[in-house]
Amino acid sequence: MEVNTKNFRGLSESACADVKLRAVLDHATRHFQHNRQASMDALPHREEHFARARAARFSALAHLPDLLEELERNATAAGTTVHWAADAEQARSIVVDIAKAANAKVIVKGKSMITEEIGLNPALEAMGAEVWETDLGEFIVQLAGEPPSHIIAPALHKSREDVVKLFAEKLGLHGEAIPELTMLARRALREKFLSADMGITGVNMAVAKTGSVVLVENEGNIRMSTTCPPVHVAVMSIEKVVADFDAVADVLRVLPRSTTGQRMSSYVSVLTGPRLEGETDGARETHLVILDNGRSRVLADPELRETLACVRCGACLNVCPVYQTIGGHAYGWIYPGPIGALLSTLLLPAGQTRDLPYGCTLCGACHRTCPLSINHPKALLALRARAAGGRGTLAGRTHSLLARHPLAYRLAVGAARAVDPQLEKLPRLISLAGGSGVAQFVASRRPPELKKSFSARRRAAQANKERS
Amino acid sequence: MRAHLFIPCLVEDCQPEAAEAVAEVLERLDVEVRHPAGQTCCGQLAYKTGDIKNARRLAARYLDVFAEPGPVVCPSGSCVKMVHTYPELFAPGEPEHARAVDLAARTFEFCAFVVGLPGWADIGARLDIRVCYHGSCQLQGLPGVDAPRELLRGVRGLTLLEAERPDRCCGFGGVFSLQFSAVSEALAEDKCREILALDPDVLVSAEPSCLMNISGRLARLGRPLPALHVAQVLAAGMRKETPSWK
Repeated sequence: MEVNTKNFRGLSESACADVKLRAVLDHATRHFQHNRQASMDALPHREEHFARARAARFSALAHLPDLLEELERNATAAGTTVHWAADAEQARSIVVDIAKAANAKVIVKGKSMITEEIGLNPALEAMGAEVWETDLGEFIVQLAGEPPSHIIAPALHKSREDVVKLFAEKLGLHGEAIPELTMLARRALREKFLSADMGITGVNMAVAKTGSVVLVENEGNIRMSTTCPPVHVAVMSIEKVVADFDAVADVLRVLPRSTTGQRMSSYVSVLTGPRLEGETDGARETHLVILDNGRSRVLADPELRETLACVRCGACLNVCPVYQTIGGHAYGWIYPGPIGALLSTLLLPAGQTRDLPYGCTLCGACHRTCPLSINHPKALLALRARAAGGRGTLAGRTHSLLARHPLAYRLAVGAARAVDPQLEKLPRLISLAGGSGVAQFVASRRPPELKKSFSARRRAAQANKERS
Repeated sequence: MRAHLFIPCLVEDCQPEAAEAVAEVLERLDVEVRHPAGQTCCGQLAYKTGDIKNARRLAARYLDVFAEPGPVVCPSGSCVKMVHTYPELFAPGEPEHARAVDLAARTFEFCAFVVGLPGWADIGARLDIRVCYHGSCQLQGLPGVDAPRELLRGVRGLTLLEAERPDRCCGFGGVFSLQFSAVSEALAEDKCREILALDPDVLVSAEPSCLMNISGRLARLGRPLPALHVAQVLAAGMRKETPSWK
């Protein structure tokens, strides 16, 4: 998709003004939070499980190059063809070449953020293939011609009424209730599964020890995409590898709970190589595309490395007050919310992401919710410092200069108090001088009044006491 | 015991009554209160806008301002958090590092400090008032995050009301409120709606910037509420006089 992160501020403003969107977001994020909370409350020793998941992910990151080589060896031994892609373009052309070789006319896809990241669908369509997203939410946004707005629930921003209209317009199918709409999509997609020449999915975890790919889902569409078509291509980014099935179990104990509040997702698929002689299902040809796309740079960065521990549960989006207010599209790329602001800034060219680290109140709800304790606000602060080159804005530097000289600071505050104690005029002057945002702030909030300072009051009170 | 007051810039000039109440409560609990001179800004603004150079300079200044040993007490969670960040601003080899570690370890949020004092449970405060307490995201993760609630519950006659999402961010976020003013305003609006639904007499928080943000929005909405630091409620309750804002 087109990267629009440069317009983050403008997009966030228009999203804010969209009353209907705000209502849909409010409903959906509360629903997610409620389910997650109920499931976490019912989990004994939850901190211990979080710690184990964290250990599994961080130990994988600490041994990533070795684990990736082990994965390649074992996946190859199991009969999977392993491909390495340095960037999005390479990954696209690898998958397009596989599709050409398989003469793929119809391709079914499981929901995958990584194929969104590399913009795979347009490349496959350009070679003449018919590409079908088979996750219900992803199918909806595909029909609407939109990117996903949530890493777990791609159509989170759509109301039921939106979907009714969309199905009527794009598919000529008429339904009203959600089960009915789901059945319509299911029928439409069932034909595609059975006629598909190729299935493409992402990867939740890849197991170095066995060369297996683990996929977590609820709809069964990933099971179908990986078992019906003769060819299966799994696309993963380098950080998805874990050591063994103990690590998989440690992550799975918290992943569905943190994502949807389920103890376990309806389906967990473990795929190890193609269908063997005598087996009755599974793809006859399996490929694993391992993508870097800027991640080894992040891995080498001790301050930001933990971003790669993310298991994409989406919980940080649901608790983020900013995401709750503006939704996913305003972030301008496929990764929204706290983890998205981080990933986009780390993966996209620097000039495009200047505002992303600032679109955060630093409230820390994400950090407190993350099952892996990723400290998003701290990482965003590190990105702010890098973007600023360690130097702040002119207004900020002026403030710091004054703050370093108490006498000058007191004089400045005193002068402000003398001319505009209610602070109704000065902020507007500052705005005229380029301090954008200050005027909007005082338009929506009555500014605090500058009063006689605490120090002055305390001095006066002490003088009084001494006199009496 | 002797404690040093660390008064945030916003409180010094815009909410001096909160600072006076902090001093009063501590003194009533037999703490000798000092107010070291030269306090301006702890460096939080610089730090959060990526200006590490100035954050270090201002942190180094505060190491001098609060050089004297003894606990440092501050009526703001976010400013306390900033001081707790000081050790990260200086590499372990730098001379400031050890002093930063020392200052961080003895800097306390006011409410958390008070609940650690002997006799706090028996302060004898009484105030017939309906309080809406805003938890503030900035206190989350600090030791004693529930200390403000404990203190308010200890005031006889006080009705403690909690808004629907008491710990949700009010949308201020410092520079965020300037750069993303529409989002910030929308969040402040949510907060105001949830507070007004309780029809409280006063809004109370342990975070001055939240008080400024929320009360400023309430005023613009034409529904002003007295916005008080927890210390002001405690001081009024201990004084047993009807406060001016009631």
